[in-house]
Amino acid sequence: MLGFVARKLLYLVPVLLAVSLLTFLIASLLPGDLAYVILGDQATPEKVAALRHDMGLDQPVWWRYIGWLGQVLQGDFGRSFRTGQTVLQAVGERLPVSIELMLFAEIIGLAIGVPLAIACAVRSGSAFDRLMTGSAFGMLSVPTFLSAILLIYLFAVQLRWLPATGYVPFEEDPVANLRFFVLPAMTLALAEWPGIMRVLRSDMIATLQEDYIALAKAKGLKASRILFVHALKPSSLTLVTITGINIGRLIGGALIVETIFALPGIGRLLIGAIYTRDLVILQGVVLLVASGFVLMNFVVDMLYAVLDPRIRHGHA
Amino acid sequence: MNAGIRSRAMALFFVGAASGAVLLASPASAQKQGGSITVGLELDIPGFDPLKVGVFDTAAETAAAAIFDTLTYLDDKGEPQPKLALSWTHSDDFKTWTFKLRPGVKFQDGTPFNAEAVKENFDRQKDPANKCRCAFYISFIHDVQAPDELTLVYNLNDPQVNLPALSSIQSSNNVVQSPTAWKTKGDDYNRNPVGTGPYILKSWTAGDRMVLEKNPDYWNKGHPYLDRIVLKPLPDAQSRFASLQSGEADIIWDDEADADNIQKAQKDPRLTVHSYAGSGAAVAAINTKSAPLDDVRVRQALVMSIDRKKMSQALTNGLARPATNPYGDGSWVKCKDDGALPYDLEKAKALIKDYGKPVDFKMIVVASPRGRTVGQILQQFWKQAGADMEIEQIDQASFVPRAFMRQFQVIGWRIIDLADPDPQMYANFHTGSPVALANYSNPELDRLLEHARITADVAKRTDDYCAISRLINKEAIWFWTFQNTYYAISTAKLKGLPKIYGGVIDVSETWLE
Repeated sequence: MLGFVARKLLYLVPVLLAVSLLTFLIASLLPGDLAYVILGDQATPEKVAALRHDMGLDQPVWWRYIGWLGQVLQGDFGRSFRTGQTVLQAVGERLPVSIELMLFAEIIGLAIGVPLAIACAVRSGSAFDRLMTGSAFGMLSVPTFLSAILLIYLFAVQLRWLPATGYVPFEEDPVANLRFFVLPAMTLALAEWPGIMRVLRSDMIATLQEDYIALAKAKGLKASRILFVHALKPSSLTLVTITGINIGRLIGGALIVETIFALPGIGRLLIGAIYTRDLVILQGVVLLVASGFVLMNFVVDMLYAVLDPRIRHGHA
Repeated sequence: MNAGIRSRAMALFFVGAASGAVLLASPASAQKQGGSITVGLELDIPGFDPLKVGVFDTAAETAAAAIFDTLTYLDDKGEPQPKLALSWTHSDDFKTWTFKLRPGVKFQDGTPFNAEAVKENFDRQKDPANKCRCAFYISFIHDVQAPDELTLVYNLNDPQVNLPALSSIQSSNNVVQSPTAWKTKGDDYNRNPVGTGPYILKSWTAGDRMVLEKNPDYWNKGHPYLDRIVLKPLPDAQSRFASLQSGEADIIWDDEADADNIQKAQKDPRLTVHSYAGSGAAVAAINTKSAPLDDVRVRQALVMSIDRKKMSQALTNGLARPATNPYGDGSWVKCKDDGALPYDLEKAKALIKDYGKPVDFKMIVVASPRGRTVGQILQQFWKQAGADMEIEQIDQASFVPRAFMRQFQVIGWRIIDLADPDPQMYANFHTGSPVALANYSNPELDRLLEHARITADVAKRTDDYCAISRLINKEAIWFWTFQNTYYAISTAKLKGLPKIYGGVIDVSETWLE
């Protein structure tokens, strides 16, 4: 097992290097010269040249990349030219918000998706199954920005049960904090559960046709025990993969959802950095988020091994 | 467009003439003390240190209006009134201005407010070593002197007759910050501002909320009324309005692009729509050095084929007010004849025909839904007149550099609301100015601009500016689409909001009924 983990970890090195290179290139190739952005109205050619020199922008891209990577490896992600905050400060302030949002969304998504998947798998082909798979397909097609506004209109403006926008830190007021997260997390979860449900449903249907399930039935085990103990675990491999990949989608969704619900998370930080060409923040945040994503998928890989011993022994 | 925001600051520092009117009248019985409001702004505020942020946007100015004070403020008629300055005088050539400052004022950190403090603010921004973007807007000021504790002298490079009015906007150039605070806090000062204003920054969570609490030692006794102001960035227009409807926000920033909600709010008795028809306009500049736009017939044809009423209907449900000159209803410049070219499609077609060659060119617009729509509407109008326009979408950050390098044929721009037309008119139209975008030079135009800036007599200045408008309209080097109108929507209980001068929602003197 230890060797397996070490091997997997080794694979991460080139992946993370590629991530850092891409991040840097994307930020460098964005239109809009940083020197012009900083200088604004006083962007005379001489001043632009002088500032570009000061900031090292006149160096070749690869040289700047190596310099940046060197600093990043020492834990220095740089400082925003606009706010004076370091990347780590800015991310540190906002990461808990995004993580809470994504966690909350994933939990709601699973809470809706898993029971529905099991119910549909058991009665596959029934009217209920067809209705649910159909509506899952429908939900998958509703864009986040639309469902967000609809949820706000219903729950905040009409019913007034939940706040439309805003945020309170958890340690300040846990209940208020959760109330602020309900609608944004619901919004993300509405796009999440259909995928979860459809994947788990088809795996479950396959599992339920296995011989050992028939054996379990023949032994007279209770239906619920068969479903939750014997069938769910082997059927959840694809689900785990999906959950890992979903984190990427959730990060993307968070950009929109955090903006609509005015949550001070990573997504808003990123959008602000893009609009203002705050490249230091942009590069730093994208690198950290991408690395987080890569690491999460590493964890997911490890989970496979836990779920299915064949993988950790290299037989799969 | 955001160049408009920048050009504003250019104006800000001119401080001017007389008056000893009583400042900010004492509270009448109707004004209730206490309570707290939440303000929904459209942008995240990056900070307050001019060396870091350069120029404040309107969201930062709303906060700055509460934390800091300026030398003057504008009353309801748009006249400058004393705030940190008590009175002012000027030299005959309007190149030297002397302000007498209010005694006994202290910054929130205890530092005494005096002429030296204002001078330090200025010197720090002006110092070339600091490379502050804000320095551009005070380039017309040569230096500031503090001959004694309460006397402040501005020596200007260029004359300015309306300096006191222009120094009322809560821009990064105009607000007075505590020198002790920026010296002791260093990098952290940007997010821990200290002023003399009615509210003190209590806490600030990045991207979420800024909590301002009443300054108990505010120099203007009995003010402010509210105990607490919470500022929140709510970037999405729909959810911002929903927050107001559901009571999480008491007042929100808005603009014409959100016309549906503004019109909904106008019909809602629980809400008040505050709007201010300012000066200036949404405009476009035509590069007169680039064929086929180097021919005046083509330019006139383009302007004459724009049906502004139809355009307003399409963009803003008819909310936007068509503009025929660069000054607008909010300006003191009122022209009997501004020389506006009428909407006349037949004439436009004839002009293009007369030109004889195919007319095709590009217009650059900001890559946003709004920018695209504006581009598409103009494209349709011009097509009808026989001109082919191609839309080029540019991201915001590249937009301004393209303008400065004159890499465009037609470009959308904005003249923002300022107390005096001179700063922007001179910068936009005088030969050799970096933002004279039309690449157009005319000795008569230069003469009028130079004359208008050193003339104190309002009637004579008005004549100058109207002649300028006629000349620009006739030459069709720029055209104006809509006047500036600024919006805020609040609960009907919120009272005392002043006019939204320059787009700044100043809630520092409001109260809840």
